[in-house]
Amino acid sequence: MILLAVFITLGGTTSCKSKKRLAKEAAEAEYRSKVEQAVKDLNAILDDETLWTLEEKEARVQTIKDWNLQNAEVDDLIFQVEKKLARERAQKEEEKRIAIEETNKATSTEAVLDGNFISIARASSASQANRTINETLGMFESPNVPVLIIISQSPGFNDYDRPTTIEKYLNYLKDQKKAGHKVHEIKYNSNGKINELELIVK
Amino acid sequence: MKKIIATLMIVLCISGAAIAQDELSFERKQAIDSLALEKVRDLSKYIKIVGSKDTPFSEANRVIDRAEELFMNDAEIGVSSIHSNQITFYRVRKYFEHLMRLNYDRVEIEWYNIEYVSDLQRQPDGTYVGVITIFQTFRGYDKEGNLVYKDTTKKDITVYVRRKETQIGGRTIGFWDVLLGDMRVKETTDR
Repeated sequence: MILLAVFITLGGTTSCKSKKRLAKEAAEAEYRSKVEQAVKDLNAILDDETLWTLEEKEARVQTIKDWNLQNAEVDDLIFQVEKKLARERAQKEEEKRIAIEETNKATSTEAVLDGNFISIARASSASQANRTINETLGMFESPNVPVLIIISQSPGFNDYDRPTTIEKYLNYLKDQKKAGHKVHEIKYNSNGKINELELIVK
Repeated sequence: MKKIIATLMIVLCISGAAIAQDELSFERKQAIDSLALEKVRDLSKYIKIVGSKDTPFSEANRVIDRAEELFMNDAEIGVSSIHSNQITFYRVRKYFEHLMRLNYDRVEIEWYNIEYVSDLQRQPDGTYVGVITIFQTFRGYDKEGNLVYKDTTKKDITVYVRRKETQIGGRTIGFWDVLLGDMRVKETTDR
């Protein structure tokens, strides 16, 4: 009876130890797999070998950090990747800022030009119109900047009136006393001056 | 036989494409119709500016340059009077210079009823040609402000619209070049 009890006790202990060992092995395998995956993903990010967006890359790094692997190689890779992603983030923000700035600039220049065209056409005197003409010419690279006027749009191409220059166009507004066109597209030179203007019939 | 059919099909395709290119859509045709009418309206404003005794000489000359650009090189403008049956033809610049020198203290020129009498029609060389008619009322006043001359003239202006191309900023731009031809007097009355 005593012998049976010893056997049962010993047998139970052995079974429990085996389960623990299996669990430990499984945990170790999972850890190794995570380390392997982390190293693979982090290296891929570092070498620009993924098609992930910046946000996806940042999310992946956060997931790896959340695993808390406490592995020297992984920690070193995380450090390098975070530095790289910070640079990419800064560059993206800068590009976004420039794009917003350019859109705002184009919108405000467009509004100023459209406003000046109307002011010239409705000027109460020639001298008032001439003042606005000179002010407007200051926004352009030269008085000879080409002005294109779209008279009709078809899929894939535009029909234009005979091209003119900005100086002639502004005087045309003064002479004809009508502002029948609005800004369609503006091109700038490296100094921020307009070097091509496209208008469209209102 | 197969070769002949294939050749015929290619020829038909090419000519079909050429016809398609020549045919303007209703919207495009309407746009060039309006453009040509607009050029005539622009001319009426230039005549008014140059005819006005209030316009400074330098400004009148600038406007004459712009007006000249509206016309074909050899275009002529007919001028009539209720005092004579004769119609005098002037080259464009000469017409405007004559207009500037008219012996009145004040001049009023109005154009109205500007419309097509002959729609723009495509010619074999691709040019669209049409005729626009206008009515012009001319009034001349002396220094006391008395109306000393008045007439109303019906004039026909031939318009030519050609498709041209130019290079701008490294791009080829296709544009419609509207040019005015001769301006002929059709009728002059003292009304």
